[in-house]
Amino acid sequence: MLMLLAQSRVEMLRMSRNVYFIFWSLMMPVAFYFLYTRIFTTGTTDSEQWNAHYLMSMTCFSIMGSSIMTLGIRLVQERAQGWVAYLQVTPLPNSIYFGGKMVGQTIMHLFSIIVIFTAGFLINGVSLPPAQWIGSALWILAGSLPFLALGTCIGTFRRVDTASGLSNALYLSLALLGGMWMPLDIMPSWLRQIGNWLPSHSFGNGAWVIIAGGVPALRDILLLAAYLVGFMLLSTYIRNKQREA
Amino acid sequence: MSSPVIKLEQVSKRYGNKEVVNNISLEIKRGSVVAILGPNGAGKTTTMKMMLGLSTATSGLVTVMGQKPNHKQVRQKTGVMLQDVSVMDGLTVREIIRMVRSYYPAPLHADHIEELTGLPPADLNKRAEKLSGGQKRSLNFALAMAGNPDILFFDEPTVGLDSETRRHFWERVRQLAQEGKTVIFTTHYLHEADQAADRIILFNRGTIVADGTPGNIKAGITIRTISFSITHSMFANDDVSITGMAAEADVRAQIEDLPDVDGIEYHKDRCILHTKNTDVLLRHLIERRIPVSDIRIETGQLDDAYANLMDTLKEEI
Repeated sequence: MLMLLAQSRVEMLRMSRNVYFIFWSLMMPVAFYFLYTRIFTTGTTDSEQWNAHYLMSMTCFSIMGSSIMTLGIRLVQERAQGWVAYLQVTPLPNSIYFGGKMVGQTIMHLFSIIVIFTAGFLINGVSLPPAQWIGSALWILAGSLPFLALGTCIGTFRRVDTASGLSNALYLSLALLGGMWMPLDIMPSWLRQIGNWLPSHSFGNGAWVIIAGGVPALRDILLLAAYLVGFMLLSTYIRNKQREA
Repeated sequence: MSSPVIKLEQVSKRYGNKEVVNNISLEIKRGSVVAILGPNGAGKTTTMKMMLGLSTATSGLVTVMGQKPNHKQVRQKTGVMLQDVSVMDGLTVREIIRMVRSYYPAPLHADHIEELTGLPPADLNKRAEKLSGGQKRSLNFALAMAGNPDILFFDEPTVGLDSETRRHFWERVRQLAQEGKTVIFTTHYLHEADQAADRIILFNRGTIVADGTPGNIKAGITIRTISFSITHSMFANDDVSITGMAAEADVRAQIEDLPDVDGIEYHKDRCILHTKNTDVLLRHLIERRIPVSDIRIETGQLDDAYANLMDTLKEEI
């Protein structure tokens, strides 16, 4: 347990010093939020509702990005630089190495959520009942698990270039098709069909439902759980294959 | 003391159908400094990786301290410096040392590890990725020591180091040996194996071709030569007389008559005799009063011997 805490602490320290993390996970979502709620106002009927809705979109966007990209690319980097091999010959168990990353990342995500929520409050005066603030934050933390698992799949790549290219493409298309940038309703119906089955849409949808006063739908929970299992199996499968080689 | 710390029994490693290590067996005693020597692709690093549990043997058994190499108790007592390992980014030298110490049950004191890096105090608060290549290696050496290990593995430890850092490194290794630690390193620098190790295991094409003390290895495969000038030039003045010519032919005949000579080379006036026993040959040379001068006895360095060995190996295949 002590080992896990020490390892998580180190991971948090490293993330907080990572310029890409600060830029992609904090500055970008806040800037987007500002642009789409203050500059390009969409003229939706209920702007207060939209401001809260889009705040959730951008928070999910941030956490999803850091789960896929920060985790995935760093796993590749650490392997490419030989750190994974080095850690294997120390007494540090592999589970603590991964566990430390997950815990460290989750605590940093909590920090990101607080920062972005605060930005929403400061920029648009978004106000929600405490239960909804806390509920949506918890949903976002829990819902990030499938994306962390996807990050570990990205982490099996040998080269940093391929990993960062693929994760960027995945991240941006998941965000767009999942309705994080603009609501799915205004997209062509065939895109909406695809989006409906993506984990990013279920992820966002849970948060949108919570701040609208509802409870996340069972379908979204099951879909996210299925993706989590799928990505974990895929990641384990690839890792075992690579170990045999 | 008596039981070996590392034991390999009929170990082979295949990648696909390529045999990288072919049925090797060896034992390493506690407190020895062992060099695994060989050219690139000889199977040195693969063998070390199997000792470390980073690679599993296709067949055969590898045990370290009587256990599997990846056993936790083994990990806690080994220190490793691998090839191509950089430093963890985003952390200062101090933070990395603190992190790695936390992995071991009885680590060295942090001050001691900091001292082992050989870095000036100002650099200890620097981000590790900003260190120079040599400094990173020094940090990795210190990290290998962090758990106060009994066995140390160094894979090509001095590649890319300048001569100063290299000397410093071997000094440390000698210290470790004095403290009774077992040190195993791979190298293709022959003089390093010769100077630092008390045992050399010579690898070629996945097999052990020689195993012994540096002295033994050298004696077994060294060329010893006696060379001298043929003194017929004393007789032959400006005009090359027939007697001079005859004298030279006579001397040559006497030389060719010497026992225990493995080979004769003539270079201008100098004659070089190859032999396994220079002492006996020298006695014959003098007792038979063969008119030679400027006698030199030479023993090939390990480098020569090694090149020689590698050449003969190539010829066999």
